[in-house]
Amino acid sequence: MLREAFAKNPKLAGTLVPLTVAIIALQAINDRDDMRRQPAIEPKSVKNAATASFGGAGLPFEYSLAALSGFRQVIAGLLWVRSDAFFHSGNYDAILPMIRLITWLDPNWLDVYATGAWHLMYNFTDTDQRSDRRYLPVGLALLDEGIANNSKVFDVYKEKGWNMFDKVRDYNGAVKAYQGALENDPDAEINQVVHPLAHSFERAGMVDESIATWDDAIKRHEAWMKRPGITDEVKMRNQMGAKNATKNRSIMQIRKALRPVNIAALGQVNTDFHVTVTRTKSKVIKVEGSWNLIGSIKDTFDAGIFEKDGNTIKTLGKGLTLDGPVNGCRVDVRLQDDGYKMPEFGSFSFEVNPTITLMQDIVSTSGGRQVDAGGVYVATPRAGTAEQIAESAKVYNLAPKDQSIVNGVPVAQALSGAVAISPQGQWQLITIAYPKAFNAYPRYYTKAEVPAMFAKLRGDAKTVAEKLTKRNIHIARKGLYAPGSFRREIDMSKDPKMYGFKGESFELILSVNPRTAPDFVQDRIGWNGEGWNDKQFLDDKTVPGVRLIRVRVPLTKDDILGSGEKVLFKG
Amino acid sequence: MNTAMVIARNTISEALRKKILNAFLMVGVVLIAFTFIFQQFAPRQELTLVKGMGLGIISLAGLFITVILCINLVPNEVERRTIYTILAKPVRRYEFLLGKFFGALGTLGINIGLMGLAFVIAVAVKQIGAENAVSPLILFKGILMIAMQMLLLAALAMFFSTFVTPLVNFFLTMVLFVIGNLSSYTLDLAKNSQVAIVKYVLLGVHYVVPNFGNFQYTNPLLQPDVVVKNETLFLTQNCAYAVAYATALMVLAILVFDRREV
Repeated sequence: MLREAFAKNPKLAGTLVPLTVAIIALQAINDRDDMRRQPAIEPKSVKNAATASFGGAGLPFEYSLAALSGFRQVIAGLLWVRSDAFFHSGNYDAILPMIRLITWLDPNWLDVYATGAWHLMYNFTDTDQRSDRRYLPVGLALLDEGIANNSKVFDVYKEKGWNMFDKVRDYNGAVKAYQGALENDPDAEINQVVHPLAHSFERAGMVDESIATWDDAIKRHEAWMKRPGITDEVKMRNQMGAKNATKNRSIMQIRKALRPVNIAALGQVNTDFHVTVTRTKSKVIKVEGSWNLIGSIKDTFDAGIFEKDGNTIKTLGKGLTLDGPVNGCRVDVRLQDDGYKMPEFGSFSFEVNPTITLMQDIVSTSGGRQVDAGGVYVATPRAGTAEQIAESAKVYNLAPKDQSIVNGVPVAQALSGAVAISPQGQWQLITIAYPKAFNAYPRYYTKAEVPAMFAKLRGDAKTVAEKLTKRNIHIARKGLYAPGSFRREIDMSKDPKMYGFKGESFELILSVNPRTAPDFVQDRIGWNGEGWNDKQFLDDKTVPGVRLIRVRVPLTKDDILGSGEKVLFKG
Repeated sequence: MNTAMVIARNTISEALRKKILNAFLMVGVVLIAFTFIFQQFAPRQELTLVKGMGLGIISLAGLFITVILCINLVPNEVERRTIYTILAKPVRRYEFLLGKFFGALGTLGINIGLMGLAFVIAVAVKQIGAENAVSPLILFKGILMIAMQMLLLAALAMFFSTFVTPLVNFFLTMVLFVIGNLSSYTLDLAKNSQVAIVKYVLLGVHYVVPNFGNFQYTNPLLQPDVVVKNETLFLTQNCAYAVAYATALMVLAILVFDRREV
């Protein structure tokens, strides 16, 4: 039929020749790598998601076909909706293959990498909510894949930076990730990238770099605010960002100036770290101990004044902080196969090695308290943190057991002469009775001011009743010093999938890293632990430049799996 | 050509009488529903889902409207014998065919245009107050690509309708639509094939079967951070490809229809 048609209409049939040439030429252009085949339009990974289904990638045939037939975004969307449903039902295992498929189908969907890494690094936990840290390299590999697929956008770098900072606590790695964001995306969100970069520098002990980064953040915020046509919301966010950056820069400058002065004046703290590790039953380990966790009393550094020219640095009493036992610093407890190191993952796979045993927990230190003879304490039924006003005067709460030791009297009786009040006690009383405004300078009463103010307090029965007696303020006859303690029973018996103990030898590592210590502890011991020492457990080799408190306890399989109570380490 | 335009107008009127615009209404309802049903997600994710699903629905609706409309245009006239009345008048066969084709394109244009407009408005409403929002107007690029894909598909269905039954036409058109979407994979298979004959057969498939995969342009519209090289060339070249291929198919259809006994 066609031959006849061509013969009858040769002119019309002839038009098919140039049309065919045009079609082939246009198709050839389309097949170029910088046209349809470019990753932004047709990512190569789509083939993995679809064609690998025949080999078991998990995408059913009809989904594969739909994905290949131009509906891959629809399929990716449906899978994402489905994985959200799995998340809400707590079925995290089911989410992982979906994330794998979605990131193949749509390698530019940034939120999927962020959410996927979060699932992997935070949501797989044991019965006691301890993360399964075998997934950390897997999560990082997913983020690396996201970065490779979206190298010019800051989002996935930022996610990696945060995970390195918060979960892995590898601050140099966090710095690298945030720097990657800034190098590759000039419009990276300042609050989300530059601010955490400055924090990462600080945690990595790179103080000057941190201050320089806060400077950079301020300049970037100011430049943003000058951009034409920005919305009020963006302007306000940058104003707030600039304000925070300025404050943080100032705090860093104060810390940089005062921390070394503080340590030089007060000397090193002897942490006197003691720990006992006991197997209470098979796969259950109890870790308990005590140590001198000394920090600055809250906000004494922040109450300082720093002039930008670097000439005027003022804070409480000649640049020194009030220090004493504090709560809050955490002891890391890690049980792992002997010599385990986090592996580098070349490409993302959601499989973890089931033969690895890796448990990490943190145990908080608390209960440290101090009162000198003639000093002030708060008599309470249960020891704990004193309220802010008392705490800022270095006053601790003492429970009945401690109260019987210090043998103190209520403040009204002491003021009547029942007990001698020491000069430090007098200062504590007036600090609580007549607190200065938070932004006052000097923030605290000086030695010279104490006698007059104390005399005023003696004649001010109303203030004594309302500000001191009401708070159960007492004066100690004898001094008391108690270090902080920590205790945790770690049960690994309920999660055999996570804690398989397939190896023969293990190591239990207890450590305190000054870089991860809270600010008020660093104010006393420095960024790198310069301000502390320990006769038994100081370790300055494991992390170059950092003085860790670190205890390594080698354990055999039998030590962990054996039944009955056994002390595994005491030191 | 005036005659063809008269037939085209009639074709559009007939399609509208058959309430083909109901498809648009259904899709519109689904699109509006999309703007509410993903609210459990973060705003950026929600927008990605709304855009991705919306373009997918328009594409799917366009596919079915095109195929169902175009496979029946000529056979219906033959079956109802109205074609004899038309061809008895001073109407040439090619005018009849072109009229039907343009009428189908007009109907498709109205449908896809309205669906696209509803979609863009839905996204624009969804984006109110959103920060760093990308203009929803860029979605028209995706809608243009869907329209071009449907133009090519309509020409293919029209071509088949000149010599096969509607049922066979339906399967032929759908199968070629799927194969045409897979053409980049046939090209990869051809490149990797070690057997010469297989290589050339696959290359033949790649160049002969209409390449519907060319028009897949959703990713850059959903992920505004994605940088597309040569976007203007890409879009222009695809439009040219669709027009050239559809023209070739219509020439073939005219040649075949000219010799067909009706």
